[in-house]
Amino acid sequence: MRFVDEFRDAELGRALAAEILATVEPGRHYKVMEVCGGHTHTIYKYGVDDMLPENVELVHGPGCPVCVIPMGRVDDGIAVALRPEVIFTCFGDMMRVPGGAGSLLDAKAEGADVRMVYSPLDALRLARENPDREVVFLAVGFETTAPSTALTLMRAKAERIENFFVYCNHVTIVPPLRALLQSPDLRLDGFIGPGHVSTVVGARPFEFLPRDYGKPVVISGFEPLDLLQSVHMVLRQLADGRCEVENQYKRVVPYEGNPQALAVLAEVFELRPHFEWRGLGFISHSGLRLSERYAEFDAELRYHVPGVRVADPKACQCGEVLKGVIKPWECKVFGTACTPERPIGTCMVSSEGACAAYYNYGRFARERAVV
Amino acid sequence: MSCDEHHCVTCSDEAVPLEVLEVRGATALCAQDVEVMTELVGPVEAGDVLLVHAGVALVRVER
Repeated sequence: MRFVDEFRDAELGRALAAEILATVEPGRHYKVMEVCGGHTHTIYKYGVDDMLPENVELVHGPGCPVCVIPMGRVDDGIAVALRPEVIFTCFGDMMRVPGGAGSLLDAKAEGADVRMVYSPLDALRLARENPDREVVFLAVGFETTAPSTALTLMRAKAERIENFFVYCNHVTIVPPLRALLQSPDLRLDGFIGPGHVSTVVGARPFEFLPRDYGKPVVISGFEPLDLLQSVHMVLRQLADGRCEVENQYKRVVPYEGNPQALAVLAEVFELRPHFEWRGLGFISHSGLRLSERYAEFDAELRYHVPGVRVADPKACQCGEVLKGVIKPWECKVFGTACTPERPIGTCMVSSEGACAAYYNYGRFARERAVV
Repeated sequence: MSCDEHHCVTCSDEAVPLEVLEVRGATALCAQDVEVMTELVGPVEAGDVLLVHAGVALVRVER
């Protein structure tokens, strides 16, 4: 496939690995955080970390939107889904995210009309086809997904559809990065920046990383060679004493992002004063809600949403995994009580969650190493 | 759009490159009968490769 196969070339990968080895200082330990869950998935799937020197450690960041949804928000969604007039729609992974009293899949088993969709447009189509029901879309995701929700709402408004509502859980990427950097128990040398979020917001919003925190950042694509090259670029900056935003993913990411998408987001959404993140707590101005212009579509205004707060299960250490403080296998329930089939924590639900990615791919390499 | 092991729409940070086969107004018909909204990338034509996420083209991939 064009734009994919050429970025999986094993020979080029080995050449990049040799360049990385030649760039690192022996005796220095490097910690580089890949922010995005898509990167985590690629790293484990293709064994990118196995090609790095032992003193280069990849730390998995909070960029999996399914993983950062707190249990209380799931419970609030279930409360809406249980209403008899509602068809509740969401992406597939969200159905399995555990709340305090089960998941949306459990609610479906109990009779709630919960349906999986591939895009918010599918949910809008359901609303057109079911005028006697109320269709609610559970919107999750960073700036990559939010434009899809926004365009769908603009179409709903233009068509004067009155039985379509959005339960908005969209989040933004910069505030959690700031929160992470203020965490005293995390020392990082640099960042691999999120490629597809950057197609929307551009590279400029990440300039605070070098400017305010002295950390280099390289916006990266999602194929194995993209990641190897991005790791090399971060290490090269460190070796040269440079600290800046670089864009490895120029074939897709314009430095200024997509102005039309940003305009659509500004039209439909506004920042919440604060939003709760799993493992990171409440972060100011990190979540989106519908703007007043679109208030008629806001499920949180339409229905009574309990607004409950639920503490994470004590055994689950998703918070520490999301902050990069521990590796997935260091969690007490990893692979035993918590598996992709029966997840306790959100990081085990999405294929992009660090725990699920590691469970599906990485553990075999580790098991070999331990033996 | 399929939700296979490579590209899952819940991931939010992973998008799918798709080639445009036909254009119908602000909608592009791509391979596998996928309909894509193109409002955010401007006019497209057959042969363009779009980065698509959750039914929306986010960017036109440089050739």
